[in-house]
Amino acid sequence: MSFIRKYWLSAVAILVSVVVFLVPFAFIVLTAFKDPKQASLLDFSWPQGNYLWGNIVEVVTTRNWMLVTAFVNSSILTVASVALLVIFGAMVGFVLQRRKTRLNGLIEFLILAGLMIPPAVVPTIWLLQGIQLFGRLHGLILIEVAYGLPFTILLYRAFISTIPRELDEAAIIDGARPFDVFFKVILPLLWPVTVTNIVVQSVAIFNDFTNPLYYLPGNANATVQLTLYNFQSQFNTSYNLLFTNIVLITIPPLIVFLFFNRQIVAGMTAGAVKG
Amino acid sequence: MAGLELKSLYKSYGEVEVIKGVDLSVDHGEFVVFVGPSGCGKSTLLRMIAGLEEITGGELWIGDTLCNAVEPRDRGIAMVFQSYALYPHMTVYENMGFGLKLAKTPKDVRDAKIREAARILQMENLLERKPGQLSGGQRQRVAIGRAIVRKPEVFLFDEPLSNLDAALRVDMRMELSKLHDELGSTMIYVTHDQVEAMTLADKIVVLNGGVVQQVGSPIELYQRPANLFVAGFIGSPKMNFAPVNVDRVEGTSVTISGKDIAAMTLEIPLNAVQAGDVLTIGVRPHDLVPSPSGAIVGRIGLIERLGNETNVNIELPSGASWLAVLDGDQALQRGASLIMNLDRAKIAVFDAGGQAVTAEKPLA
Ligand SMILES: Nc1ncnc2c1ncn2[C@@H]1O[C@H](COP(=O)(O)OP(=O)(O)O)[C@@H](O)[C@H]1O
Ligand SMILES: [Mg+2]
Repeated sequence: MSFIRKYWLSAVAILVSVVVFLVPFAFIVLTAFKDPKQASLLDFSWPQGNYLWGNIVEVVTTRNWMLVTAFVNSSILTVASVALLVIFGAMVGFVLQRRKTRLNGLIEFLILAGLMIPPAVVPTIWLLQGIQLFGRLHGLILIEVAYGLPFTILLYRAFISTIPRELDEAAIIDGARPFDVFFKVILPLLWPVTVTNIVVQSVAIFNDFTNPLYYLPGNANATVQLTLYNFQSQFNTSYNLLFTNIVLITIPPLIVFLFFNRQIVAGMTAGAVKG
Repeated sequence: MAGLELKSLYKSYGEVEVIKGVDLSVDHGEFVVFVGPSGCGKSTLLRMIAGLEEITGGELWIGDTLCNAVEPRDRGIAMVFQSYALYPHMTVYENMGFGLKLAKTPKDVRDAKIREAARILQMENLLERKPGQLSGGQRQRVAIGRAIVRKPEVFLFDEPLSNLDAALRVDMRMELSKLHDELGSTMIYVTHDQVEAMTLADKIVVLNGGVVQQVGSPIELYQRPANLFVAGFIGSPKMNFAPVNVDRVEGTSVTISGKDIAAMTLEIPLNAVQAGDVLTIGVRPHDLVPSPSGAIVGRIGLIERLGNETNVNIELPSGASWLAVLDGDQALQRGASLIMNLDRAKIAVFDAGGQAVTAEKPLA
């Protein structure tokens, strides 16, 4: 009896997590195995036969291999945006934390504003059109960087404040120029935050649906999330293909998580800096 | 070859003046210690020399170069920080070679220099470790090694030993002294610990409130402190002070007396004091000797018997408390009264402004 009294809360917590996280995922995977007829029932049943391979082939080849283009686009978008975010976020965080000027208050206000105020879509599109970046991948990269930057900066700045300033000074005395101090001393020490940023931002950007929808119209430009539209229409939706598509585009973020998960935890527990 | 010349250096942070006109000249190869209480501006002064703090006013000469606007890397200096400031992600070898690598020194030259420094500091076996795997003393060694590798004209140390435990501190003190002999470079060392200052320095600079109080060799400062502050700061245990009045002046013989001190005659330079002046006399605890016919009578307070010497707290009639360090082991009774004599030649005399009475005062 005492066993139950001790662990019932944990058991409930585990049960809730299973229902919230695993049941929907199981539903997606199961539906991906079904044929169109059974899938359209949208019930939680065991697939009658394995149609997964056929579904995959159809999903990938639909609309002239659009999914492949989308994967390429999304990969470029994610890698470029995250790389820029990491470099710029760390740089801004570094300068903001180390150099106190009268502008700091204003800059911090802008960062917070960027975090809180929802972006205005139409003016942004005007702006992009004005500078010839609307509907282009590098325009969208800049958008993602701009939206992700405040959060990245805040994470970095908090961490940089734990790195003693004497470390910078020792490097300066050793003859390091500002870029040396940043790239050779500070940036390597930021690895734990960098991992966190990579995971959080790359998953967010890869899974981003609305920004590509607004700022990157056109089939040739599709990103993975937009391919979900291929199998939905007002009157008839191929649920088996839709869910197969979901399974396929969930794989990359899943890999990122599995790959970096240990490092996030390791980085956090090491605390890592004090020399 | 590089000495240093500081010409009326000033530093202020906004309204707050931290360094208030420091003049100092350091010869090549000297071991100079800046000492003073916490917050007096020692680190600030050192960092101005290093180039980490901008100089508000005055001139800084290193060797023959005016260095006010010279980048730290071009000043020919190396600095050791209190917190060691080793790069945590680099091995000891990389830490020591970082500066040379930035300067694009060829790999074989760099390697030779690192190994040479490691040999001098006896830490060849540590080269492959990361700072996190080292003890405090070893980290300090690496920090010093990183400075040596740069072959600087001037070494700057900011309280390098204050994070170490007492025994290790004594060892490292001796090693630093040896290192100075071996390298023959100019060294400037900041500490708040006057024992470190006394043992290491060729020349001590006593700072208080951003002003140089006195510059001199350790013994000079101990024997002839220029003012009350230096007298109280240098020497351990601290000097005892008592106010006295000047009763009579006859040439250089001056008779003084005070609440705690029976009338006695001192030799004071001609015309330095006048009858009626109020002075402060200072007596080192070691210069007090029990004697039946002494000038000071007090009640014995706390007694510390250390075997080789005995520290006695004495409460004087005015309520002031003095410390006497007596030779050998003395069996004394707490609460008893003790009569002591002072060695007249070793009494320090200060005027009402706290300055040592030495030179002649101009006649009013
Ligand atoms: N960046 C700064 N801004 C304002 N005041 C400072 C700054 N750095 C140091 N100070 C002040 O300068 C004085 C001297 O500091 P410091 O040189 O560090 O003293 P210490 O002799 O203990 O090394 C202190 O009173 C300190 O408050
Ligand atoms: Mg200091």
